[in-house]
Amino acid sequence: MVLNEVYPERMLSDNEKFERIIKTINKRFTTYGYKRIKTSAFEQYDLYSKVKSSINQNEMIKVIDHTGQVLVLRPDVTIPITRELAQNFPDLSSELRYFYVQEVFRQPIDRNDSIERTQAGIEYFCESSAEADAEVIALGCHLMKDLGFNDIKIELGHAGFFNELVRGLPLTPLQIDQLKSLIQAKNVVEIGPFLKSLEIKDEVREVIERIPFLYGNPADVIERTKGIALTEKIQDTLDYLMDIFSILKLYGLEQYIVMDLGLINHMGYYSGVIFQGYVEKFGKPVLMGGRYDGLGAEFGTALPAIGFACEIESLVKATESREVTSRLPIDIKITYADSRLEQAISIANELRERNYSVLSFSERKEHADLRQSVYSICLEKESNSFLYKGKNVQFSNLKELLELLVGGLEPK
Amino acid sequence: MTHLTIAMAKGRTADKALTFFEKAGIRFSDFHDKSRKLVIYDDENKVKLIFVKAVDVPTYVEKGAADIGIVGKDTIMEDPVDVYELLDLGIGKCQLAVAGFPDKQFPSSTLLTVASKYPGVTKAYFDSKGIRIETIKLNGSIELAPLIGMSDVIVDIVESGKTLKENGLVVLEEIADVSARLIVNKASYATRTNQIQQFISDLKAVLE
Repeated sequence: MVLNEVYPERMLSDNEKFERIIKTINKRFTTYGYKRIKTSAFEQYDLYSKVKSSINQNEMIKVIDHTGQVLVLRPDVTIPITRELAQNFPDLSSELRYFYVQEVFRQPIDRNDSIERTQAGIEYFCESSAEADAEVIALGCHLMKDLGFNDIKIELGHAGFFNELVRGLPLTPLQIDQLKSLIQAKNVVEIGPFLKSLEIKDEVREVIERIPFLYGNPADVIERTKGIALTEKIQDTLDYLMDIFSILKLYGLEQYIVMDLGLINHMGYYSGVIFQGYVEKFGKPVLMGGRYDGLGAEFGTALPAIGFACEIESLVKATESREVTSRLPIDIKITYADSRLEQAISIANELRERNYSVLSFSERKEHADLRQSVYSICLEKESNSFLYKGKNVQFSNLKELLELLVGGLEPK
Repeated sequence: MTHLTIAMAKGRTADKALTFFEKAGIRFSDFHDKSRKLVIYDDENKVKLIFVKAVDVPTYVEKGAADIGIVGKDTIMEDPVDVYELLDLGIGKCQLAVAGFPDKQFPSSTLLTVASKYPGVTKAYFDSKGIRIETIKLNGSIELAPLIGMSDVIVDIVESGKTLKENGLVVLEEIADVSARLIVNKASYATRTNQIQQFISDLKAVLE
């Protein structure tokens, strides 16, 4: 009994949330001028093996077609969109704004996780500028607010920061990976001893050791970088981040932004600003993105762009404790005596034409669907009645019914 | 403001951590050794302590069920999770090490067998040295494995080395220093930065 009632309810409510979230996303992306596009579910395996340090090959779901060619189920959307544009529009004269909502497929590390995830994201193909980058981050923030989250934090970092620091250091790729994971874990305890074991100049070591502390209010973080020796290029990235932050202030989003100079994205193609968003009581980022000016070059053109994506399944989970919607799922429920079937169908049709959601049942099956409706209509043998909030009114034809629906039961 | 949730395992580490908390001004009058409560609050109702199994602490923190966790480095190494590791509490200091009989040569033609409670750490360590091994997962009395010829060496926690010595074993290689660490959920750190940073700096002041 419990299973019969509770389980479908929960499933339904998750599906409903899912749909509602997608609807909200569609709407918000559209208001910023983005157009929805689709990419193929199957992609060439070579496409992904070509772009270095993007998606781990073990994570991809491979398929073989009848000619023996290896395909992968779309593990990501950014790469195929960029390839498509690079091949068809070698010189892009205008900015382009696209968004997508589609499934991506990756073999999860944890076997209990699902292979299929629904990603919603945007790609904004434009020259790098603080205005453009800030707008994209503002859109991410705006979207989280639309979805009803209050405690939003967007961590702001720059891919150039770490890359520039380790550039020219005598480190093996393995050592760079180790250093990355220490920084990602803000592992203050072990970073010092690790760096000491390497041959790195003292002043560089000191900067790297400080990275875990470069987190928090942007102005404070910048203040904390004052004492340390930075190259001109790093100073430029910091100035750029502050430019973005001052524009975000104009958007009124100051309180949602934290700077994290230890932010490193596992997608290796990011080249500029990177960011990720957290909401209250959800342990993982719900939104991730950044600027990837170099990706187009992998396909032979310069195609500067910035984008972000979020996973709908995570958003559904993050909204778990929230009320989905106070609105009842069904507008009108019609119950009819068997002799009134014809009228029931015609009324249901008329109402559906007017965009009401309608269920109709014979009296005998009144309890076939237990969902509540806003209005109820009873077609008995001799009379018709309309019920709303416990009040009951008779009506004789469709016109009267429609008036009742529009005006409710308010006295005229 | 909502509670800061801290996960840790009952036992020596928890007792020591609680004395640090107390010095930092966070008191748990409710707590005593014999208590079987799994959830306790501090006197000012700011911190909620949950007691879980040590190996589960990283999971609780990664999933956000706890904001902060206190757990041994060995557990973190065995089951790496995506969290911040912000503080060394210096409790339960010991070493993860490879141990075995002294002066024993291993023929390179056969696979080295290693018994351990930490198959993940063991594999990662020997992988990094380019040595292929066969791992035998055991849950206790690891020292027994080489004695009865089940494995060539062991990977285990070494505190004083007394158990090893009594069984004729020695430390062959040191893998890592271990002690209790404070780990933090990344989302909590982002959404409750001040509260967590304050907590950590209070604790740090006590440690110094």
